[in-house]
Amino acid sequence: MNAVVHAPAFGLALTLLAYLGAGELHRRLGRPALLAPVLVTTVVVAVVLQVLGIGYDEYLASVSVLTLLLGPATVALALPLLRAGRALLASRAAVLATLLVTGVVSVGVTVGALELFGVADDLVRTALPRSVTTPVALTLAGTLHGVATLTVVLTLVSGVLGAVAGPALLSLVRVTDPRARGFAVGLTSHGIGTSRALAESEVAGGWSSAAMVLNALAMTVALPLVARWFGG
Amino acid sequence: MSAPPETAPGAGGWGRHVPAVLAALGVLLLLQLLGTLVVAVLHLPVPGAVVGLVLLVAFGARYRGLLRRVEPAGDPLLRHLQLLFVPPGVGVVTEGSRLAAAAGPLALAVGGSFAVGLVVAGLLLQALLRRGERP
Repeated sequence: MNAVVHAPAFGLALTLLAYLGAGELHRRLGRPALLAPVLVTTVVVAVVLQVLGIGYDEYLASVSVLTLLLGPATVALALPLLRAGRALLASRAAVLATLLVTGVVSVGVTVGALELFGVADDLVRTALPRSVTTPVALTLAGTLHGVATLTVVLTLVSGVLGAVAGPALLSLVRVTDPRARGFAVGLTSHGIGTSRALAESEVAGGWSSAAMVLNALAMTVALPLVARWFGG
Repeated sequence: MSAPPETAPGAGGWGRHVPAVLAALGVLLLLQLLGTLVVAVLHLPVPGAVVGLVLLVAFGARYRGLLRRVEPAGDPLLRHLQLLFVPPGVGVVTEGSRLAAAAGPLALAVGGSFAVGLVVAGLLLQALLRRGERP
């Protein structure tokens, strides 16, 4: 048994099988956003590692191929951007203005809330990339000297919030244009929000992925400058 | 169940002997490394993969064939992006105590900036798009 549990492939096999099972469960229960496959998989894997007494470092070495794939996945984000390209270019002024204003407002609220409570600077740097799509957020957390694993959790929370509450909140403030709905969800809730926007309509999905990519680019440039105020 | 033949429509003649998904992954990795090279040479403060993204947008807008080359790996990767977040997510177990200590402020910061950002983005873009389309 020990030979299996500590085999180099164990962590990868566990992760893939848990993901398969979580995806199947999610589909059968009618895709509830709170049971997103990524959350279920993470909890299952964490519990199994605890029970079997496998260290995080050993697990990380086993799944290094997944970590490695974050790079090509980031590059592939160019695809949705190019697909929405023409519509975006036609309204570029509106898109850029929204990107800029929302970026300033959401970074402002994040920093303001954390400073108000006197949270340590490295946690501020950790929370900054939370609206950015996870592969980029991870790299950014490294650049900003934040705590990468925590950044991922905050990013996942943002994504799930967007998928669960985003559409209802937008309807509440009477945002009906599918382009604006998609863009707002993509800007605040990246990939997880985008999959929810895609379920709403093709247009919303396209604008959502475009917003996710544009936000990632803007934040990559802007956040290192903001982080400097917090000793980054 | 037999797999469909691996012929990307409109793909050029090279690389026919490997599955389209591997060729696509190769192109994506090449772009990432090109980005890394650019970052190293120009001392940019951004990740190499993000520069790779920009390179693919620039090349892809001009050469549609490149996009068709990249899609067999790019599309499934993007559809299952979540799977790649599992390893760091699991790692939060090791950071659990710090998270709990600052849970309140963090929840407020994340929830607040999410809600405010969402509403501002939605309302602003809708207003701007409507104004731009008025004859």
